[in-house]
Amino acid sequence: MNAVVWAGVILIGGCGSVLRFVVDGAVGARLGREFPFGTLAVNVSGAMILGLITGLALGSDEALLAGTAAVGSYTTFSTWMLETQRLAEERQNRSATLNVVVSLVLGVAAAALGRLIGVHV
Amino acid sequence: MNEDCLKLTVYFGERKRAGHRFVADALLDLYGRHEIATSVLLRGVEGFGLKHHLRTDSSLTLSEDLPAVAIAVDTRERIEALLDDAAELTGSGLVTLERARMQTNEIRAVSLPAELDEATKLTVYLGRQERVYRVPAFIAVCDLLHRRGIAGATTLLGVDGTTHGRRERARFFGRNADVPMMVIAVGSGQQIAGVLPELGGLLRRPLITLERVRVCKRDGELLENPHPLPGSDEHGMALWQKLMIYNSEAALHDGQPIHRAITRQLRRSGASGSTTLRGIWGFHGDHAPHGDRTLQLGRHVPTLTIVIDTPERIAESFAIVDQLTNERGLVTSEMVPAMRATAAENSRGGVRLANHRF
Repeated sequence: MNAVVWAGVILIGGCGSVLRFVVDGAVGARLGREFPFGTLAVNVSGAMILGLITGLALGSDEALLAGTAAVGSYTTFSTWMLETQRLAEERQNRSATLNVVVSLVLGVAAAALGRLIGVHV
Repeated sequence: MNEDCLKLTVYFGERKRAGHRFVADALLDLYGRHEIATSVLLRGVEGFGLKHHLRTDSSLTLSEDLPAVAIAVDTRERIEALLDDAAELTGSGLVTLERARMQTNEIRAVSLPAELDEATKLTVYLGRQERVYRVPAFIAVCDLLHRRGIAGATTLLGVDGTTHGRRERARFFGRNADVPMMVIAVGSGQQIAGVLPELGGLLRRPLITLERVRVCKRDGELLENPHPLPGSDEHGMALWQKLMIYNSEAALHDGQPIHRAITRQLRRSGASGSTTLRGIWGFHGDHAPHGDRTLQLGRHVPTLTIVIDTPERIAESFAIVDQLTNERGLVTSEMVPAMRATAAENSRGGVRLANHRF
């Protein structure tokens, strides 16, 4: 652990959250506003990338930078939860349930797929 | 009762800037400097304008630049004195001027002129922590209005404003005791006139305004269509019209709150714009006053949707609203004697008052 790695975490972490903002906005604007597709896209793609990174079995610094800094800042648990609560608050119970179930199922599947690709690369 | 007052309302994006400052701050500073009798800044939850860009709090990503509404009421001279500055600060957005009557400090029994007899909109301006016999003032006022059979009342929470000429801005830490909030009620002229002395008895330093409206729908029942107004007055000044739709977050159309359905259908139909505000407490029709309850996921607070357009377009928009509020909701229409809408380079209307009797 040294200052360069820490600086890397800060820098890459910042880029990850900006990327989320861009992807979330682009997907949300295209696929409509009734369901939080943007957050779903971000979380599922993030899960797949993290699966891929762990599959690649990188060194500890590289794993920290790619996993915690990049994917950690790119994906968002809090937005997923808040948007589910907002849907329930507006009595969109079907969408709220779907948001939880679909994110879980696709997320686990994406992580597994990413790992599979990583191991075989 | 001051008969000759004006209500200046500005609809704009919360993130909109005038130079290096937010329009919201700049406008409220202006009202504070002019010691305007009452002004309130309200934050909306959904809406669109001339550019037809939908802003909504229904998803986190798209809720970055929600609509905001700044209302200022004072005598005609005092509003006219700041009108040009306010319009210039706003830039792109919607500015309307409406006639109102205002009463401050003491409320005496009033005999309303014939034109206010049909239906009247009463707005009561209160402080956030104001209390009446230990009960929050807005709850006491809503209870009184409900007991007297008024058609509906909605309490809106302000985040900035002036009260009796003094600037009161909400802060993150602080009691925010005098930050203004407003209760908007609609009833027949006689009912409102009857309730005024009682309100005067309840409140220590009342500040109220009265405006003429028409109740078009109550509890889903169609009573009257909006006034069929001409496009301009006798002197060729353009006339505009406003619909206000009072509903509840719990009232659904096709599985979504009615106000969301209204915004989407109006936007698709090519209407010029709409703004929805979410209240904190209120009622319409026979339902007892209500708000949100703790430990209840679904929301119950009242909502208020405002639609301003040409009289011709309002007739079309009303048909849509009528269809979507076939079970619940209170719909009123009003004449707007001056409106200026600006989007980027194009602008329509102006801030000179039209004169039309009906």
